[in-house]
Amino acid sequence: MMRTINFTLNGQPVSTAIEPHRNLVELLQRFDLFGARESCGQGLCGCCTVLVDDMAVSGCLYFAVWVDGKSVTTVEHLDAEGSLSVVQQAFIDCGAFQCGFCTPGFVLMTHQLLKAYPNPSDDDIRHYLSGNLCRCAAYPEIIEAVKLAARR
Amino acid sequence: MIPFEMVEPKSLKEALALLDPQESTVRAVAGGTALMLMMKAGVFTPTRLVCLHGIESEYARITVSAGELRIGAMATLSELERDANVAARLPVLKRAMRTLSNVRVRNVARVGGALAHGDPHLDLPPVLAALGARVSISGAGGDRELPLEQLYSGYYETVLAKDELITAVKIPAQAARKAAYMKVTARSADDWPALGVAVSFAFADGAIRDPIVVVSAATEKVTRMAAAEKVLHGAAPDDATLARAGDAAAAAAAILTDAHGSAAYKRELLRVYLRRAVREALGDGARPVRQ
Repeated sequence: MMRTINFTLNGQPVSTAIEPHRNLVELLQRFDLFGARESCGQGLCGCCTVLVDDMAVSGCLYFAVWVDGKSVTTVEHLDAEGSLSVVQQAFIDCGAFQCGFCTPGFVLMTHQLLKAYPNPSDDDIRHYLSGNLCRCAAYPEIIEAVKLAARR
Repeated sequence: MIPFEMVEPKSLKEALALLDPQESTVRAVAGGTALMLMMKAGVFTPTRLVCLHGIESEYARITVSAGELRIGAMATLSELERDANVAARLPVLKRAMRTLSNVRVRNVARVGGALAHGDPHLDLPPVLAALGARVSISGAGGDRELPLEQLYSGYYETVLAKDELITAVKIPAQAARKAAYMKVTARSADDWPALGVAVSFAFADGAIRDPIVVVSAATEKVTRMAAAEKVLHGAAPDDATLARAGDAAAAAAAILTDAHGSAAYKRELLRVYLRRAVREALGDGARPVRQ
C-alpha cells in the first residue's frame, strides 16, 4: 500500500509515494540524502538524527509517513547558505571526529543542544549527547567543539 | 520490516473502533519508539497499526486542577520534561527525565505508550506509581481508572484489553511529600537498569508517614513493596530502620536473574538503593548520592 506524502525537505516542497513500514532514513535515501545513516537501528547511537519540525528524532525509529505535512531538515542543509555552520566549523577546528560516520548526528544534535543550552556545562553536554555514540571515542574533542561553537 | 496497514483515526472513538478485541496483530502506535524495536526484532508483526497522531491535540495536554496534575497520554516525554507545572510540583519526575533514554526518544515517545508498553525497565512507571498516580483508560465498553501499579500483570503484560487505550495519567497533589527515584545500571550509565527504586512519603516530626515504595527493572513488573512501607511508616529514617526496610523489600520482591545481574546481586542492590532513595528524598533533590 503506497501512500503519497507531501512535506518540506531542506526548504523545498516535495512529494513522494511510500509504504507505511518504511522509516525516515529509507525515505531520505530516495532523495539521495545519506547524511542520516541507520547504524544501531535502536535509537541509541544518533547516526540517523534528523530534524522534523525542528525537533531531533531518530530517523530509524520514525515512520516515514509521519513527516506528511511537516518540515524535514537533514545535515546536508546546514551549509545551504554557502558556508559551513558554526557547529560544523567548530568540529573541524577541534578535530572532533576520526572516521566521521557519527559526525552528522553529533553536529545536528549540537545545533539542538545550543538552542536549549546556549552556554552549556560539561554535564549539560554529556546528558544531551548521551544518545550519540562515537566509536572512535572522540568525546573529549566533541565536548570542546560544542563549547567552541557556543563561544562563537 | 514486513508491510502492514497504517490507519489514522481523527477521534478517540474512531481509534477504539479500529482496534480489535481479538486480534493481537492490531495495535495502537503513539511515538512508536518501543513498538518499532519490537517490530525490528521480529517479536511483533502487525497487520494494522492505529496511529494516534490525529487525536493528539486533545489528549496531549498537561493540566492542573484542584492540585491534581493530569497528563494526557499523547504528551511526549519532552513535553513532560519542559512543563512548568511538572518542574514546580514534581521535581522527581523532571529529574528522572534527564536520564530517561535520550533526547530524540523523549521528543517522540508518548506518556501513554511508556505506560502501556509494560516493560519493567522503563523509568516512568515506577516514578508515577510512587507518586500515587492513577491511569484513565477508555475502551469500546466504557471508561475506567486504575492505580498505576495495578496496570501491570506480568513481564510486558498489562490488564489493558486489546481494544482499550490509556487516555491520561493523574497524579494527586503531593503537598509536602518527598520523593526520589534511583536507577542502577550494571554496565554503561545509559544501559537499561538492573534495578529501579522509587519512593515517596510525608515527613513530620522526624518520622516517615504514608510511604510508597516501588521496585522496577529487577522484578517482572513494577511492584509496590508493602513490607518495606510497613517498616518505614511512623519510623525515623535512621540507619537501623532503613536497613530493616531494605531487608523487608529484599525478602518480599520476586527478583529475576537476567543479563543485568543475578537475583542475589540485585537483591543486595535493592537493600542499598532503597536506603539511598529514602535519603535522597529527604535531601529534597540535593542528590547526595550519584548513581
